[in-house]
Parts: sequence; C-alpha cells; structure tokens
Amino acid sequence: MKKFIINIAIFLVPLLVVGELVARYNHVMSEIPRRFIDSHGIQKYIPNQKGYWQGGEHYWEINSMGWPGELPKDFNNLNVIIGDSFIENFMNPIECHQSNYLKKLMPKYNFMEASRSGVTFIESLEISKQTDTLSPIKTIIFTGPNDIIESIEEIKKINDATQYSINQNTIIKGKMKSPGLKKALYSMKAIYYLYNRFRFSIPKIKKNSKNNSKPSQNKYKKNLSKVKLLLDYVKLNYDIENKLFVFSPKTNQDIYMLFKDNAFNVMLLDNSKDDKWSFDHDPHWTCYGHEQVAKQLKTKLLEDSMIIN
Amino acid sequence: MLFNSLEFFIFLPIVFTLYWLIGNKRIQQQNLLITVSSYLFYGWWDWRFLFLILFSSIVDYTIGQKLKITKHPARRKLLLWVSICVNIGFLGFFKYFNFFVDSLIDSFTFFGSELKINTLNIILPVGISFYTFQTLSYTIDVYNKKLEPTKNFLAFMAFVSFFPQLVAGPIERATNLLPQFHKQREFVYSKSVDGLRQVLWGLFKKVVIADNCATYANMIFNNPEDYSGSTLLLGAFFFAFQIYGDFSGYSDIAIGISRLFGFNLKRNFAFPYFSRDIAEFWRRWHISLSTWFRDYLYIPLGGSKGGTKMKIRNTFIIFVVSGFWHGANWTFIVWGALNALYFLPLLLLNKNRVNTNLVAEGKYFPSLKEIFQMMTTFFITLIAWVFFRADNVTNAFMYLNDMFTLSLFSKPEILPFTILGLLSFFMAIEWFGRSGEFAIQKIDFMNKPIRWSFYILLIILMFSFTGEQQEFIYFQF
Repeated sequence: MKKFIINIAIFLVPLLVVGELVARYNHVMSEIPRRFIDSHGIQKYIPNQKGYWQGGEHYWEINSMGWPGELPKDFNNLNVIIGDSFIENFMNPIECHQSNYLKKLMPKYNFMEASRSGVTFIESLEISKQTDTLSPIKTIIFTGPNDIIESIEEIKKINDATQYSINQNTIIKGKMKSPGLKKALYSMKAIYYLYNRFRFSIPKIKKNSKNNSKPSQNKYKKNLSKVKLLLDYVKLNYDIENKLFVFSPKTNQDIYMLFKDNAFNVMLLDNSKDDKWSFDHDPHWTCYGHEQVAKQLKTKLLEDSMIIN
Repeated sequence: MLFNSLEFFIFLPIVFTLYWLIGNKRIQQQNLLITVSSYLFYGWWDWRFLFLILFSSIVDYTIGQKLKITKHPARRKLLLWVSICVNIGFLGFFKYFNFFVDSLIDSFTFFGSELKINTLNIILPVGISFYTFQTLSYTIDVYNKKLEPTKNFLAFMAFVSFFPQLVAGPIERATNLLPQFHKQREFVYSKSVDGLRQVLWGLFKKVVIADNCATYANMIFNNPEDYSGSTLLLGAFFFAFQIYGDFSGYSDIAIGISRLFGFNLKRNFAFPYFSRDIAEFWRRWHISLSTWFRDYLYIPLGGSKGGTKMKIRNTFIIFVVSGFWHGANWTFIVWGALNALYFLPLLLLNKNRVNTNLVAEGKYFPSLKEIFQMMTTFFITLIAWVFFRADNVTNAFMYLNDMFTLSLFSKPEILPFTILGLLSFFMAIEWFGRSGEFAIQKIDFMNKPIRWSFYILLIILMFSFTGEQQEFIYFQF
C-alpha cells in the first residue's frame, strides 16, 4: 500500500510537468489577469499585464491605469465607457473594443474604457467617481438588470462585489475572494484546466435549473421597490447629469422604465432585427456585435446632442 | 456521480484510503464502507433512488432466506416469482410503462378508435436495468440451489450496490461477486497497479474516443438530410466507436476500480470489433448481459437443443428481449431482431462456434481472409447501430436509404483527420494488446521509464483531445 501511494506520488511529478508544458503550449486555458484593490476600494487589474485568450489568436492587454484595452492618445474631448465583461471584451482582439469603434465613428473625440468582469451597477458608479477626475464630456455606463440587482446587498449578498446596503444606506466595498488560491490556480494551467473541465456536476445542474426565464422576471418585479431605493441613493450621491446608462437588448422592461421614470438618461440597445451579435456558445458580443453597438451609440449621442458630429 | 467528474476524483481516493487504512483486516468495516460510499455515489444523482435499491435489497435478501428454509417446490416457485415480479415490476414501471401506454394508444389509433390513457412523468432511476438483473441472478441461483443464500445482510447490500459497477455494469453474477464480500480482501500491489492501468485505459476510451466520436455522430445523426451517403456512413462509423469507447470504457473503469478494492469482476468486452462473424461478436460484446440472457432465458427456454423452429424462436426471443432491455423504443427491438437475423444462418448451419479462438493468434497481422471477415462483421454491426442510434425506426430507415445512394462514393463533407488519427492509434493499441484482458494489460514487458512515458502520453492525449463531457450512454439503460 505504501509503495503504491509513493509510486503514484512520484508519477504525478513528471505528469504535472509535462501536463503544464502541454497546457501552456496548446493554450488550453485563457490566462487570467491578476487583480488588486486600489486605495478607493475598487477592484482593478494590476497594470501592464498581457495574456492569451483561449480560442483566439489575440492577446488581451491591461493598460497602465489597470483597465483592459488601450488608453487614448490624449484626454481632451474625452468620453469614458464603463462596463462589465462585455466592455472588458477579452474574447475579441483589441481593435474590436468599443473605444476603437467609437473613435473611428467620431474621430474628434477620445474614448477611454474602464471595465472589469463582474462589476455591479453601483461599482460602475464608484468607478465613475474616479474617471470624473479626468473631466469627461460623457460617461457611458453599460449595465443590465442583473448588475442592478447584484448592487443591492439586501437582495443577495456578494462578498467580492461592491454593493449598496439599504439598511445602512451606504456602500459596502467588495473584497477579493481567496486571492492567493486563485493566483496559484491560475498560474498552474494544467490544474486550472482540469478544474474547469471536470467541475462538480451537481451544483452545475442545480444552477442550470434556476435559469429559466419566469422566476428571473419575477426576481426583478418583486425587487423593484429596492431598486427604487438604490436609484434614490444614486441620485443623491453621484453626478448623473453627464451619464448615459446603456441597457443590453431584451432587458427587463420594469427596471428599464424605472430608470427612465427617475430621470436617468437611458438607452436600450436593439438587436431585434439582427441576431448575430453574440458568439455561438457565449453571450458576449463578437466584433460585429460591438460594431453594431457603437453605431447605435453614436446615433443616440447625436440625437441627444451630447456630442457634435 | 460520473467517473469522469471532479467529485469522483475526490471521492475515489478518500474511499480507497479509508478502505485500506481503516477497514483493512476488518471485513465488516470494509463492507460497511463500500455500502455507505456506494449509497453516496448513487444518491449523488437523486437521493430518492436510494429507497428503490434498499427496497430491492431487502426483498431479495428476505426471499433468499425464505428459499433456504422452504422445501415445498410450489412455495419455492412462488417465492421466486415474487422476486421476479418485484424486480421486473420496478423495471417495467420505471422504464417501460409509458412505452406500453403509447404503443397501446398507437394500436387503437391504427384500428380507428381512440384510447385515452395518460402517460406518467416518471424519472428513470440510473442503472436500474443493471442492478435489477444482478439481484435477480441471486434469487434464481438460490432457487436453483447453485448458491447458498447469504446470512449477512450488510454483505448483500454491498453486493447489490457496489459502486464501481452499480450504474452500468458489468452485470455481476451473485455466484462470482457475493462470495468475495464474505472473504477478507488483502491489498495486492500488482493487482492494484493493474486495476489503475485499466482505469486509465477506460478513461482514455471514454474521454478521447467516445466523447470525440459523439460530437460528429450527433452532428450527422441530428441532420442526416444535410449529408451525402459517405458522410452518413462516417456518422454510423463514429457512433460505432462512440458506443464501444463509452460502454467498454465504463466497464474497464468499473473493473479497474474493483481491482483497487480487491475484487475481481467478470470481463465485459473482449475486442468485439476484431470479430470474424456475428456469433463471435456476441461472445465479445457486453458479455455479462449476453451470458445473463443465455443462462436465465435462452437455456430455460430450451436453448438450441430442440428442433429448427425452437432454435429460431429462442434466438429471436433472446435478441429481441436483449434489444428491449436497452430501452423502451422500437429502435432497440429492431436492432435486436436484426442481430437475430444476422446470427440465425450461422446457428442453423452450425457455424456459430467456428471462431472461438483469438484472431491471428500469435501473429502480428491478420490474413487477408481475416481482414475481410472482420470488415464484413464490422459493417453489418454498423448497419444495426443505425437503428440503435436513431430516434425512431422511420428515421433509421431514412438514414439507411440516404446512405445507400451514389453519394456513398463521394468525398464526405466531414472528414476530421485528428479524430480518425486518434481512432487509428486506439485500434492499433487494441490490436496489439488483444491477448490481454484489456489492451494495455501486458505492457509490463516495457521498462519503467517507457511504461510511464506511455501512461503520460495517454493522459496528455486525454488532456489535449478531450471531447465535450457526456454522460455514459448506458446510464440510460
């Protein structure tokens, strides 16, 4: 028995070494950028990182400010774009970022992205407090009903996300979840791959079973009063005058209308006549999808006279 | 819990370590640990299934005890029938109820009248066909006085629920497996290494061969109208390897894990795609089910001892029932009947036991005649697999109809060279390892660095060419 276990342990050493080499050579897993929490309590990426994205031939890049994508050449006539993984856009090459498409469509203006996957609506506004110091003309915040629901601690407490506490009427900053363990896991590509490939199946099934649309619609409806309190807090504590809130297509209408009724400047993206915005097995937008979004955004900005063509 | 899941990779080392460290030299503790871990393994799918397996264990254990003390033949027969009715009743209800109701409604509709019976929303308990047959073999063997009924309920529970083979076999005979629960299991290094090697080969078959072939088989079978005859043939070819890799892979993992725990299970597959005729194929494919039907159905029906009519009748019965065992669908029945048609000429001409030895025994390569025989046998099984895989009989006929057109000789629209390369590698290993219980069993002649490099190669191939994770096909049976 002892010999058996020792031999397995010895066998694992060359196996892990070869496995790691193969995993890295074949890019079986995407590289995950490392994060930190800045002095304002915002989770950002450690600046100047670069890594490959599985399934693509491109590399993602983190700029010197700790956000994905390139920084504009200068900060005059600046517009800021804030969002989650859709704007972070690791799955597409850098040319397909919103800032690049918008710059092409509106060359007089500069665009800067500040995005990170998993940001809540309230965290986007916290980020905007920082980017407001750059005096942007407009701040475009991409959001969705889930980002809004996840912003409220009383609906669902999420430790690693920044949330608004209705009871305490304050912002609770997110904490990093097991950063050491994540760093170790992401560094060992072979182990990370196996972890992803052979995930626990039961929680996955349970999670999937909740994914039907009816309960999630109810979730929004029954939490509207809490969302209203969140919006009241936002109006009091953030400058929403120069903000445009962009909602994803097919968004929950109750939430969208609540924003509209509360005098938020909103925009609803429309892909009803074009269903090719997303990847086949990933809801994120392709380069084509991003291009269409940028076109709709330009129209909205012109309509509202937020910019001059 | 799937064998190819993270939870099983955590579950197995824990149970293995506890089994040999804590339970070592204490037979009751070992059996208790096996029972508890098997119930956990099975309950991972749905805890409600546990009541079924527990009830089945209690019924068959009690009947076994009663059969021991009952001398009166009629009463003994009654007890046997109670066991058969309970076990087959469960199977019939969970697996076949809706099929019979639907078929009845269809029959009435065919004759112009309407029958209103509602089908039920029944969940099919995973592996019910396997453990039902296993417990039935216990009662029948006790009834036939081939086996002494066990007094040890814990050992019996462990026998019924033994997790490595619980959900997809091999279907063990009580005469082989149950006595092993009464004996002290000792850790044997060589046996455990052999077991681990078989697990590795089984995982390779499942993760690399079956799951990759499944991707293409599904693509082609889901839209057959989009493809040429040659691609449809390729679809059937991929399904043949999917089902072989899937099921024999599961059997290898089950047998290998059992060896890690000191048990010897019966062989379930013996390189069936190297068979020279269909009779040989059926001696090499799903051996535990074929022999079960042979011993508990074919022989009691008279086997091949009667006249020609009886031979034909019994052959059809065993193949059709075997097909029906796989699932409540006419496709499986047609698949069984088609195999009976393949088999009958050999039986009637008394040529069903011509090829009982290993193909090209002692040689590196087969003769041209053997190659032709193997290819012919493989091709006719391929045709039968179309029925097995299709959603219904009409689709299967349409698939075959579209396949046997002139486009059969055109270049296939789908030609995944990587998968075909992997299949060639796999079949080469199987060919050169065909004299062993499993393909890489006799790898011991290589020295350690080469042997370990080969294991690493297999793991890296699993790592690099892993297909989309799929449940084992036979779980649904």
